[in-house]
Amino acid sequence: MIAGIDLGTTNSLIGVYDSGFATLLADTEGNRLTPSVVFYGENKEGPDQVLVGREASRMQAIHPERTISSVKRLIGRRHGEEGTEGLPGTKGATVTIACAGRVLTPEEVSSEILKKLKAIAEERLGTLVNRAVITVPAYFNDAQRAATRKAGELAGFTVERILSEPTAAALAYGLDRLAENSKVAVYDLGGGTFDLSILQLDNGVFQVLSTHGDTHLGGDDLDEVIADLLASKAGLDGLKEPSVGARIRLREAARTAKESLSDEDSTVVRLPFFEGGESLEIPLTRHEIETVCAPIIRRTLHLCNRALEDAGLSASQLDEVIMVGGSTRMPLVRKLASEIFGKEPNLTQHPDEAVALGAILQGAILEGNLQNVALLDVTPLSLGIETFGGLMNVIIPRNTTIPAKAGEMFTNAVAGQSGMKITVLQGERELAADNWTLGTFEIPFSPSPKGAARVGVQFAIDADGILQVLARDTASGMEQITEIKSAVEVSDEAVEAMLAGSLEHAFEDMDARIFTEARLKAEEMLPAVEAALTQLASELPDTEAKEIRQCAVEVTSALMSKETARLKEALAALDNATQTLATRLIERAMQ
Amino acid sequence: MSDPFLLLGIARRPLLDREAIGSAYRKLAGQLHPDQASGDTLKFRELSEAADTLKDPSRRLRELAGGSASSSGGSLPPEAADLFPKVAGVLQQADSILEKQGAATNALAKALLLTPLKKAAEDLESILSLLESWKSTLNQELHRLDQEWTAERTAEGTPSPSTITALGLLSDSFTYAGRWELQLRNRKLALEATLG
Repeated sequence: MIAGIDLGTTNSLIGVYDSGFATLLADTEGNRLTPSVVFYGENKEGPDQVLVGREASRMQAIHPERTISSVKRLIGRRHGEEGTEGLPGTKGATVTIACAGRVLTPEEVSSEILKKLKAIAEERLGTLVNRAVITVPAYFNDAQRAATRKAGELAGFTVERILSEPTAAALAYGLDRLAENSKVAVYDLGGGTFDLSILQLDNGVFQVLSTHGDTHLGGDDLDEVIADLLASKAGLDGLKEPSVGARIRLREAARTAKESLSDEDSTVVRLPFFEGGESLEIPLTRHEIETVCAPIIRRTLHLCNRALEDAGLSASQLDEVIMVGGSTRMPLVRKLASEIFGKEPNLTQHPDEAVALGAILQGAILEGNLQNVALLDVTPLSLGIETFGGLMNVIIPRNTTIPAKAGEMFTNAVAGQSGMKITVLQGERELAADNWTLGTFEIPFSPSPKGAARVGVQFAIDADGILQVLARDTASGMEQITEIKSAVEVSDEAVEAMLAGSLEHAFEDMDARIFTEARLKAEEMLPAVEAALTQLASELPDTEAKEIRQCAVEVTSALMSKETARLKEALAALDNATQTLATRLIERAMQ
Repeated sequence: MSDPFLLLGIARRPLLDREAIGSAYRKLAGQLHPDQASGDTLKFRELSEAADTLKDPSRRLRELAGGSASSSGGSLPPEAADLFPKVAGVLQQADSILEKQGAATNALAKALLLTPLKKAAEDLESILSLLESWKSTLNQELHRLDQEWTAERTAEGTPSPSTITALGLLSDSFTYAGRWELQLRNRKLALEATLG
């Protein structure tokens, strides 16, 4: 039996295909949603060392430092990437989490959630469940997919397929429309990620035409800005470094308020005995949260346009826009989606359950229990190799149907070269360094004049999205085959040493780093101020220009004196003084 | 590599309907996908490759012209030679402004870039419309060659060498048009994303 699992940022679900139906399985309390929260107890060996789901959520308020939520945002990531700021570790190393005296990988934390789901399913069915289809955001890269697979294996599953979430949702939507031929978009805004996939449904064949997304755009980001809004409304702005506990309570309150404001126009956020002090009562309206959330939700617009572009379609050619993911409950999200696509979104699918149902159905396809249904998925990101000059040479373009295979011939750029280093890349940027490196290997050949050596490089992706690279020197027939395994394996000791080292350095360097940041900002600000003053010379009141110049002079002298605090203060003053300047420039440009 | 027309069961001719190719592809791909009992990874890949070849007019015409080599011997078709410097110019302009925009971290610096950003977007738009009109002449040529091809096939059984050569030249033009359109549209989307 193959279980279908939606391993979500906020909640996770499991289910199986049973007598012709996809069925979600509930825990003993009747909940189908298991919060993706893990609590680590004090006793590493004891029976209650790890709690998952609701029990862990309850502990979060008391022991935030022992609780991990939204781990999906970290899975398969390396330090230095967007979203890994503030975590200890060296650039390029895989991310680890220090919690309750343990050093944990995101895979390990995710595997605890998967173990819990496995236990729920086994308890319900009274049988072992050890094969699974697990869903991931469509825009997850190779490393993130591989790490999710690893989490599944750590939990004791044979992972039969890593499936894209919007594709799964499309399967759930299309199952009772198998005879139709239509084009649909799946708008999937979850707790941590956004995906937009465009599919063509044609007599049981689900062909993904294109997909785009952002793996750091979701309900969590909305909670953050609403929490900021709450803090500012409660006059907590002065609280520069709120305790971890305070931040978690604010975010929790923000999430609850966001959810109730999907139905109500206004609410009151109550935080009893906040930070040991007085109780807070903060009134909040839907309009207020929409104002702060709109810029984040608007970021989905460009991703939708890119997906349409790649599919070669215009919005009007779509038959349906299917909304899934918990965040699509927000009225503002539905409104923006209807503006983007020029049609009312389709709300027939359960926002929390459609993806899990699709995963179950894919399991049924793999077992042969669901016939005449086929999913043709794509690789979301382009794959290629680095060529001379540090450029990315695409071998398999994004949105290519998988399984796929493609190859290209390369030649030596330098005379006498005796080998070629193949760096396998994933991403959409032109410069190799801006893309994700999946792996490197060498293919040797006998030294030859420039352009004489010929190396064939072939990429093959299987239905799971796993890439195999084959390089072949055509002269000697020498071959090198590499299966790309993402995320460098690092031993526990190495991680511990790395963490300790980076923490010591962090304290030493703190002041220097803050000064460097401020200096960079000053170096950017000063010429910009000069240029703006010149451009707006005729329309700017003398007093304002004078004030700005004074602030700029203070920044320059603070820079000379190398006093961090003074420079920061001067920059803040200059920022403040030039606010209307920026507005004037924007107005002028928009005229 | 096997004949893509044969693999998809589509008649050999220059002009094909994208939807018809997609439809033929899905029908066969649904059976050959490795998840299916009748699946076959190798055949599935070949089929996908064939569909991609037929959907792209440049690759389709080259296939009909009977070779992988470029017919014009690397020299640009005259319209392409005329467009190329314009395309390269606006792409460079867009890249440089996008790079500046990406590096700017404060509101003032970003505001200063707004006017040049809008200018770059407008220039891009005008080159795109030039490209659009070139593409429509290419499509007219495609229709003309399709008629010639069909007529010659009916009359003599095989298309004439002059038609074959014309197909090769048209394929080259489609290659340039396709590549430039992709680059221009990508920059346009990037500019729109920064303009908000």
